[in-house]
Amino acid sequence: MVKFLKPNKAVILLQGRFAGRKAVIVRSFDDGTRDRPYGHCLVSGISKYPAKVIKKDSAKKTAKNSRVKAFMKVVNYSHLMPTRYTLDVDLKDVVSPDSLVTKDKKVTAAKEIKKRFEERFKTGKNRWFFSKLRF
Amino acid sequence: MVAAKKTKKTHESINNRLALVMKSGRYTLGYKTVLKSLRNSKGKLVIIANNCPPLRKSEIEYYAMLAKVGVHHYNGNNVDLGTACGKYFRVCCLSIIDPGDSDIIKSMPSDH
Repeated sequence: MVKFLKPNKAVILLQGRFAGRKAVIVRSFDDGTRDRPYGHCLVSGISKYPAKVIKKDSAKKTAKNSRVKAFMKVVNYSHLMPTRYTLDVDLKDVVSPDSLVTKDKKVTAAKEIKKRFEERFKTGKNRWFFSKLRF
Repeated sequence: MVAAKKTKKTHESINNRLALVMKSGRYTLGYKTVLKSLRNSKGKLVIIANNCPPLRKSEIEYYAMLAKVGVHHYNGNNVDLGTACGKYFRVCCLSIIDPGDSDIIKSMPSDH
């Protein structure tokens, strides 16, 4: 009875090219829109997870391995598996439905998300989100 | 987590309450609609048959945990649950949206 598909919720994509990847809900459209008459949401997730980083690594290696590749997608609720985790990274100003329309807007938004994800990964918080789901 | 041996009396009372919901309340039957009702926070109680595949059972329980909705494990398989709903088909899981005149929501969660 509690709505749980809210912004900042961590989810796992179940279908599509990014199946098995973790993502965070940026905006949710519970009642759908005219183009998509079903419940869906805008998620941004990790398309390439950062590699394992240990303290013994050199600075160059740490920098190379901490890279994250991000994606944005509009996904149907039934293609998501919600989790109990959340990730509060403020992506609302970067990602919006019209940033998915043209290629260049998409690229700039993805670069900005990548930067924010990498910052968050470097602080060591939300370790679950940045670890690959093994299946 | 292990339920005590269900007595005949409580089992019948669940069936009675379910029959009342079927008559006067709103419900959905089936896995897809149960998940839908949990996602849009309309469901108030979820009932799962005992021969539901364990992966599906844990998925429904996880969604219900996120939505803070009670789950009742029905003491019977999907054939019995379908009969209890008054239907001629099998029902593996169902979600009660509006209990109508029944008190199933108030009495069941303490049971589970």
